[in-house]
Amino acid sequence: MERQSRVMSEKDEYQFQHQGAVELLVFNFLLILTILTIWLFKNHRFRFLHETGGAMVYGLIMGLILRYATAPTDIESGTVYDCVKLTFSPSTLLVNITDQVYEYKYKREISQHNINPHQGNAILEKMTFDPEIFFNVLLPPIIFHAGYSLKKRHFFQNLGSILTYAFLGTAISCIVIGLIMYGFVKAMIHAGQLKNGDFHFTDCLFFGSLMSATDPVTVLAIFHELHVDPDLYTLLFGESVLNDAVAIVLTYSISIYSPKENPNAFDAAAFFQSVGNFLGIFAGSFAMGSAYAIITALLTKFTKLCEFPMLETGLFFLLSWSAFLSAEAAGLTGIVAVLFCGVTQAHYTYNNLSSDSKIRTKQLFEFMNFLAENVIFCYMGLALFTFQNHIFNALFILGAFLAIFVARACNIYPLSFLLNLGRKQKIPWNFQHMMMFSGLRGAIAFALAIRNTESQPKQMMFTTTLLLVFFTVWVFGGGTTPMLTWLQIRVGVDLDENLKEDPSSQHQEANNLDKNMTKAESARLFRMWYSFDH
Amino acid sequence: MDEEIVSEKQAEESHRQDSANLLIFILLLTLTILTIWLFKHRRARFLHETGLAMIYGLLVGLVLRYGIHVPSDVNNVTLSCEVQSSPTTLLVNVSGKFYEYTLKGEISSHELNNVQDNEMLRKVTFDPEVFFNILLPPIIFYAGYSLKRRHFFRNLGSILAYAFLGTAISCFVIGSIMYGCVTLMKVTGQLAGDFYFTDCLLFGAIVSATDPVTVLAIFHELQVDVELYALLFGESVLNDAVAIVLSSSIVAYQPAGDNSHTFDVTAMFKSIGIFLGIFSGSFAMGAATGVVTALVTKFTKLREFQLLETGLFFLMSWSTFLLAEAWGFTGVVAVLFCGITQAHYTYNNLSTESQHRTKQLFELLNFLAENFIFSYMGLTLFTFQNHVFNPTFVVGAFVAIFLGRAANIYPLSLLLNLGRRSKIGSNFQHMMMFAGLRGAMAFALAIRDTATYARQMMFSTTLLIVFFTVWVFGGGTTAMLSCLHIRVGVDSDQEHLGVPENERRTTKAESAWLFRMWYNFDHNYLKPLLTHSGPPLTTTLPACCGPIARCLTSPQAYENQEQLKDDDSDLILNDGDISLTYGDSTVNTEPATSSAPRRFMGNSSEDALDRELAFGDHELVIRGTRLVLPMDDSEPPLNLLDNTRHGPA
Repeated sequence: MERQSRVMSEKDEYQFQHQGAVELLVFNFLLILTILTIWLFKNHRFRFLHETGGAMVYGLIMGLILRYATAPTDIESGTVYDCVKLTFSPSTLLVNITDQVYEYKYKREISQHNINPHQGNAILEKMTFDPEIFFNVLLPPIIFHAGYSLKKRHFFQNLGSILTYAFLGTAISCIVIGLIMYGFVKAMIHAGQLKNGDFHFTDCLFFGSLMSATDPVTVLAIFHELHVDPDLYTLLFGESVLNDAVAIVLTYSISIYSPKENPNAFDAAAFFQSVGNFLGIFAGSFAMGSAYAIITALLTKFTKLCEFPMLETGLFFLLSWSAFLSAEAAGLTGIVAVLFCGVTQAHYTYNNLSSDSKIRTKQLFEFMNFLAENVIFCYMGLALFTFQNHIFNALFILGAFLAIFVARACNIYPLSFLLNLGRKQKIPWNFQHMMMFSGLRGAIAFALAIRNTESQPKQMMFTTTLLLVFFTVWVFGGGTTPMLTWLQIRVGVDLDENLKEDPSSQHQEANNLDKNMTKAESARLFRMWYSFDH
Repeated sequence: MDEEIVSEKQAEESHRQDSANLLIFILLLTLTILTIWLFKHRRARFLHETGLAMIYGLLVGLVLRYGIHVPSDVNNVTLSCEVQSSPTTLLVNVSGKFYEYTLKGEISSHELNNVQDNEMLRKVTFDPEVFFNILLPPIIFYAGYSLKRRHFFRNLGSILAYAFLGTAISCFVIGSIMYGCVTLMKVTGQLAGDFYFTDCLLFGAIVSATDPVTVLAIFHELQVDVELYALLFGESVLNDAVAIVLSSSIVAYQPAGDNSHTFDVTAMFKSIGIFLGIFSGSFAMGAATGVVTALVTKFTKLREFQLLETGLFFLMSWSTFLLAEAWGFTGVVAVLFCGITQAHYTYNNLSTESQHRTKQLFELLNFLAENFIFSYMGLTLFTFQNHVFNPTFVVGAFVAIFLGRAANIYPLSLLLNLGRRSKIGSNFQHMMMFAGLRGAMAFALAIRDTATYARQMMFSTTLLIVFFTVWVFGGGTTAMLSCLHIRVGVDSDQEHLGVPENERRTTKAESAWLFRMWYNFDHNYLKPLLTHSGPPLTTTLPACCGPIARCLTSPQAYENQEQLKDDDSDLILNDGDISLTYGDSTVNTEPATSSAPRRFMGNSSEDALDRELAFGDHELVIRGTRLVLPMDDSEPPLNLLDNTRHGPA
């Protein structure tokens, strides 16, 4: 009898694992399809659809099939067990089922109205990942790669502007989106689409902060391919990378903003606590990431590890990963730590590596970035159909679209104006328009939105975010090439050629002047940093 | 509201804890890497990186076991609910709030008390399925992917004999000896639980998986005789596959009727049927996806975008694993054969950049996974909480694995030597006997199920065997080599230069006719079909298939006929190999003359085989020169880059 039940449970487990394999297989096939399609597009030089857009399309199709072509199977996991003995939710639960004790681990709390969908389609339920996977597995390589490939002369030249856009700009954008959305929410309450008291101002701000994470991967890929002006490229790239970090920390500090008495009134103490949190987490993560990178740099400098490129690559990979894990273990934000770790690694460690390892690490992270990015975008397409708690609200979506444009404008134009006062080399109008245009939303916004989809406002936010991502990636991403020609932005500028040209040509003097200018242009702070660094 | 925050905090706390645990492993690996570098730098060969990883694991395990006391969680309440089965997710209504719980595992009743105590130790214990689903596939795939050597295919017959027959023999010998041992224990009253003959056989299957990674690393470094290297490597790789399938078919052995542990003919045949079914199914699956990848890379021009190519390669190989798992075959076995097929066909279609990328990617994955497993092994000696150490059983197991290995190697070598022209020398036999290390695969198989008393005892014993063999045998390899007078410093490429003509003939004749048939088929049909190399299909296929052949032959294949670009593909070049060839520049003149007739004596593959065996070294040189003088259509700067990259290696 005992044996029988053991066999049964083994079978169960087998079934379970088998299901896991099938889900992963679906993703694998989608990715393979995407790769092949992208090759076809690249081969024929179509630029209107980037691979991430393609991944989304395939994800959508697969989601459609899964949603409507598979028969709903009922699973018993939908039934709710009542426990009188329990007064709180323990982290582990031992359940005695016909003399076999099973251990259950706490996963999350489910609100009342979400229980019914859990009884629905088992396949759809299975195709939904745990949102933490995004933060722990998929995003770190993407962010690290972004940081690791940030090392450009132009980045440090434009550091001041980039920091301004990333920090001030994101804050502005968050607040503007929050305000506009609050207005729309009030209108919705007025129109009777929403109960009063469900959707607070903090929720609006939360939405604003997650929507502020721009991710112009599509635009940047096209820029890279067409060799668009490096200044514009760096401004956009740097802004989008840092802005992700800011948005993540901002979202976190808004979500823990909880005033003492009335949970949604303004409370100065709680507000300052949130601000303090923001600064603390950001600085902590920054320190953690840089510290690990410095350790790596020192290790690679003082050992002769470069004789064994594989060991070197392994060490590099492991230490970068440790940065993430220790930040998480210390309660900081791993992704931000990984970003700064990447930047520092690129700046220091990269120079210590053997040439073989340089290529290896670059390729490794490029590869991981590619896979992770496509998985996320594929999943986005899938989630539109497989996620079971979508709340589409036309007014909210409309408001969100409006809000992100207005906020992007409030971010770019005033800040560019201010920056132009200080910069010798102005940011011209067409650059500003282009930056305005390339405010795509991508993986980070999605991951932040999917992290918490328990309450009704959060579900509405998630649905809206999904739609915004689709729209911006397809429309703005596809429209980049026409936009570039329309704005008459220089194309085909070779970065290296620029470099080579500089000293050799007859513009020696002009060149010197230019150099002086760029030097003068970079702020005092940057110069100090540079001389310290150098 | 408060409760919600509390449980949220708890979830966050557990996430932090998980991160910290993973961090321990990562730091262990980092430490291992640094120490390894020190050892390699000093040329200390007595301890391999895997052995070192185990030592560090042991130390950390010790600290976790005795140094850290975690305040016990008092939250565990055993509920009795009227649930019939164990669902994967459980929704619990706790005073108006709904919580979702996920199934973590089954707990046997005597563990119940321990649950609270050793939360920390349990945290650092992974789900054993992690090994099979995440850590083993890259190791096995890499083994298959780097298996592609001339010498492997030449010794295919012997390797298969060792792997299949040998593993079966070893399994049965170990099983019988252990059964004797167990009955002895029963008599002396040391046995505290059930232990049947099937359990003994399972133990035999588990410890039959040899994993001489340590030995092979030293062989590679010292450039031991390639023949020996190929035999050992091929045996260990295939033998893993056999052992996995064997153990799963022994587990599936369930006689009908009441007494579940007697011999039953139908059940046995069913088990054999399962073995054959799973093995051939996995083989077919792996080979099929390998072939599909080869076709895709051949007919698309994906090679212009290396990132996409590498991505495709990786995803297809992973799909093999998942497909096999989803269809109920063994994913690890499928991945092995997929790796071999990829190396044999797809590798030739990849761009040079992707060839490096894929090699390096899987090398890194293999390295990380292997060291992770070994350090985890060290850790489990202390953190695993149900160890059953029984001296009689352990001693019996040690005796059994030696006898099992001896019963595997010596009789089979004797039999094989009857058929082989180039005999397997007795010193080679001793070395193979000596290199019967147990490693990751035995550990993973043993940890997979540790629910019963018998399994726990097996697990503990396997752990000890792995420690002992890796440290003692692994450490003693260099001493053993010199003791057995095995040639060291043999350059695989130089080896055949001095070999006279008649000896070459013998190597040719040695390979069985089956192998020759396969070679012809492979060379004339499969290679041209799946890759850009080989003679064009239009010349090898009968005339009636003309149109099909034309559309399946790639334009490059026609050039092959004129250009001299032969089966250099039978070798994967290691960085070491290339640099060696460069070091010896006098050879460079030779291939031009010796290969001139090849071009004209075209398609008689009998000769081609002969020459391939004889002139494999020259082909290598040809390939080497091709890196310098780009004569085909690939981009010259890239080649030059490669060249410079390998130069100092």
